[in-house]
Amino acid sequence: MIKLIDVHKAFDGQKVLDGVNLEVPKDKIMVIVGASGVGKSVLLKHMIGLMKPDKGKIVVDGVDLSALSPLELVEIRKKFGMLFQGCALFDSLNVCDNVAFPLREHSNLSSSEIKAKVDEMLAIVGLEGICHKMPSDLSGGMKKRVALARAIILQPQIMLYDEPTTGLDPIMTESVDNLILDMQQKLDITSVVISHDIASAFRIADQIAMIDNGKIIVSGTSAEFAASNDPVVMKFIGRK
Amino acid sequence: MEKLINKIQPLADPLGRMINGFTKTLGNLCLFVFQTLSWIPRRPYRIKNLFKQMEFIGVQSTPIIMLTGVFVGAVFALQTGKAFAMFNAESLVGATIGLSLAREIAPVFTALMVTARACSAMAAELGTMKVTEQIDALETMAVNPLHYLVCPRVIATTIMTPLLTAVFDLVGIIGAWFVGIKLLGIGEASFFDRLYFYVNLRDFIGGLVKSGFFGFFISLISCYSGFDTKGGAKGVGDSTTRAVVVSSVVVLVTDYFLTTWILEYFSQGPSV
Repeated sequence: MIKLIDVHKAFDGQKVLDGVNLEVPKDKIMVIVGASGVGKSVLLKHMIGLMKPDKGKIVVDGVDLSALSPLELVEIRKKFGMLFQGCALFDSLNVCDNVAFPLREHSNLSSSEIKAKVDEMLAIVGLEGICHKMPSDLSGGMKKRVALARAIILQPQIMLYDEPTTGLDPIMTESVDNLILDMQQKLDITSVVISHDIASAFRIADQIAMIDNGKIIVSGTSAEFAASNDPVVMKFIGRK
Repeated sequence: MEKLINKIQPLADPLGRMINGFTKTLGNLCLFVFQTLSWIPRRPYRIKNLFKQMEFIGVQSTPIIMLTGVFVGAVFALQTGKAFAMFNAESLVGATIGLSLAREIAPVFTALMVTARACSAMAAELGTMKVTEQIDALETMAVNPLHYLVCPRVIATTIMTPLLTAVFDLVGIIGAWFVGIKLLGIGEASFFDRLYFYVNLRDFIGGLVKSGFFGFFISLISCYSGFDTKGGAKGVGDSTTRAVVVSSVVVLVTDYFLTTWILEYFSQGPSV
């Protein structure tokens, strides 16, 4: 379970997170929605310890991230998988090496076992036969799927998705949504999804939270979120 | 008093900001150096990455080092040959060039060439990785970016810069030999006799030690610049420029202090 307690963060004096309190339940999918530039990605980076809060705590499975040494933080990150907004594929490595990277770092599997696992992951995301292509040769959607394959290859306990469906066509969006649901159902992982896409959010979420002006203004089940009378939420989901 | 404060404030404000920025950068750089050094001995040893970097920094820089080395030696022979001819001291051309190359010119020129060719690329590559979140991705995969990216580059540059300096020494002497002996007609025997007599092995080793320090400094500065990149393409450009300028200045400034130390400990032989 991930718990954010009174998290504050400012950049050059500009407040981005202003006392965020949020609880992500274990083995559920939480979708965090909000307008562009409200600090959704910043919030996600705090959850994995890529950013440290100016004030407040981030607790993952009972461990306060801000109290950890860099080495301890490395250990706890092995629980996580993360899909970045811009994919963050290593542009000096081909698709196979990108997907195999976490396995090469953290497992003792042989080359043939790694190859088999990489092929399996690429098949899951619907990208067979592109193993030796470089990231620069791929379309935006393909990059996203390769990044997803890389993020799930170690079967993490917690998956963080930073706008997983942005830039994808509707068919691919649905297939990524299904993938997120499958992962959650098969592996019982906790997922946090940052999204603009409200339709996609309702399709996959157990819980939806909305961030605005540096605070979580609404958090609850999809039904509770849909029934919210908060004017920002109503505007965001297009309800009058 | 208030008038005085009003007059001073426009000057004091930017000065204060500059000092604050400089102190912050220096503090971050020291922290970066300390963390890098603390990660170097830790497993897993990234031998493949190290050899890849050694190939890029060392092997691929060899042609440009040879080209500059041969012409530096040649022009140095031309200048000293003409100058020494005014008081019939042409026989000292070999020794003068040998000493200058071994002690000073080869380490400094090599460090500057490595900065221009390899360290600029290092800063640009790491800067691009920073702005495209590839460095963040490494961290999320529980891989320390300093261990994976910086340590191999720093070790490779520290090893390869002295080796390139040795190549520079050799081709510099070849350039000087060609111009001095073949073009200016200096006697081959006197050229090499004086060279062997005045240039000591300690001078050569002192130069290599110096270039090892240069390699260490320039790689750390370039990696730090890359890691400190902010923004997009412009940020990458800025950090690359900063890496080259700061590295070059650091080479020239530390050269004085390293030379003082090296002259004290490495050149206590019969030579000059």
